[in-house]
Amino acid sequence: MTIAALNADQTDALQEVVNIAMGQAGDRLARTLDVFVELSVPRIRLVHVSEVIRTVREMISNTSLVSAVRQAFFDELRGEAVVIYDNAGCKDLANLMGYNDELSALEEQELLLDVSNVLVGACVNGVAQQFGADLSFSPPSIIAEKIPLDLVMSPENLSWQYALLVEVNFGLENSDFKSHLLILMAEEGIDTLRGSLDRLMEAI
Amino acid sequence: MPASGEDLSLLEFIVEKVNVGIFVIDSEFRVVVWNRFMESHSGCRTQNIVGQDLFAAFPELRESEKWLRRKIQNIFVLKNGSFTSWEQRPYLFRFRHNRPVTGGVDCMRQNCAFQPIKDKAGEVQYVCVTLFDVTDTSIYQNMLQKTMVSLADASNRDGLTGIYNRRFFEQSLAKEYSRAQRYGHTFSLVLLDLDHFKNVNDVHGHLAGDEVLRETVHRLGGCLRDADILARYGGEEFAAILPETAQNGAMIVAERLRAAVAATPIIFNNQPLAITTSLGITELRADIRRYEDLIKEADLALYASKDSGRNRVTCYTPTLGAEQA
Repeated sequence: MTIAALNADQTDALQEVVNIAMGQAGDRLARTLDVFVELSVPRIRLVHVSEVIRTVREMISNTSLVSAVRQAFFDELRGEAVVIYDNAGCKDLANLMGYNDELSALEEQELLLDVSNVLVGACVNGVAQQFGADLSFSPPSIIAEKIPLDLVMSPENLSWQYALLVEVNFGLENSDFKSHLLILMAEEGIDTLRGSLDRLMEAI
Repeated sequence: MPASGEDLSLLEFIVEKVNVGIFVIDSEFRVVVWNRFMESHSGCRTQNIVGQDLFAAFPELRESEKWLRRKIQNIFVLKNGSFTSWEQRPYLFRFRHNRPVTGGVDCMRQNCAFQPIKDKAGEVQYVCVTLFDVTDTSIYQNMLQKTMVSLADASNRDGLTGIYNRRFFEQSLAKEYSRAQRYGHTFSLVLLDLDHFKNVNDVHGHLAGDEVLRETVHRLGGCLRDADILARYGGEEFAAILPETAQNGAMIVAERLRAAVAATPIIFNNQPLAITTSLGITELRADIRRYEDLIKEADLALYASKDSGRNRVTCYTPTLGAEQA
């Protein structure tokens, strides 16, 4: 696979960086949450704005309702991460995150934000570490609650043409918990990433 | 960021004076830094709290202690920052805010950011918490939400009479229809039309007509239950959805509606205006496939009332439909 905006070497390097980062993230999450975390092999695509919904739908193949949280990351790498949850949500994680078993609607929202922040932080920081970068994050915010996947992102609201999309999905041992992490870097973000990849390859 | 002695004191000054809460805790939850903002809002002096256990110093945190400990521990393990937002968790500490008079909220709304402070080896030594006063934002957000709710309500109502409009009526009818079908319940629909309303307008003017509509609605409302939905369907036509009501019950209600309007004349400019109404009723049956058919049936019954002399109630029967066809 070659991503048009990246040459073959850059693409290989990126896949390698992401694989290592996600492996480490899974390990760290498992230690934090004290459960075995099942992580898919990350998939990387360059998508046009018009295809982003279709691509995400193919990757997620979820027909029911989803909730989603977004969070921006910036400094040496620039983009946004979106975590998509099956409607079953992340209640299984409530206790592990220090919540009581009976969740109010607001606590459920906060749990969603907390879990997303942990997933995004672990994965995106994992990638950044490979580049020796130290990133900053915006607070996470809920962009969808129990709505069809197609409505999570509407292309007319997106101001970019092409974006690099990294998808990983998470599961927990003995749990229905399932979530998908999408890391999206649009044009400017890809330029930054290309520079980071080149420096990484020179350093090897 | 390497800093000389002078720069350091400048930074200290900023941390101290910035209008944002800043405090730092170590992995044992002991307070390391406590800036002026925290000091003045908590009433807890810096020299008294530095070195103390945060939870011991603030018994008010006990309610959220399990969650907060976990959140901070995660930062030490994951080396990754974390956040809280007032929208889910109104505040971390119960502080007074600066709008005691105009605020309308009980205490300071806070957004917090938790940042890891790492040593040279990349291990997290401390967690720095910045606490932002977002009371103003929360007040504006609440105002906005209230406005949205009243706008949504306004868009469902008829301007003249204040009861629901036709759009809301159709939505409600569709909802009631699918609810009744799903649970095998029944409900009835009443359509009501003012008799010779055009005359009122022509003879007494539109202001009289408006008053008649308002007073009619007032009288109709007095005969209905809270769960019933009364709406202005058209110019002088009204509709009432009667949940959990079969035809017999609807007949009684409709007769009461008719009598309430006809009982005494409506007074406009000291003039009595005798108003009567014609009504049509139908009840949900198994063979009704669309909620729109209910409107059609009640309308046929209403026109049967008109044809047979007005000021009366007619129940839909299939013969009415056959005559029409």
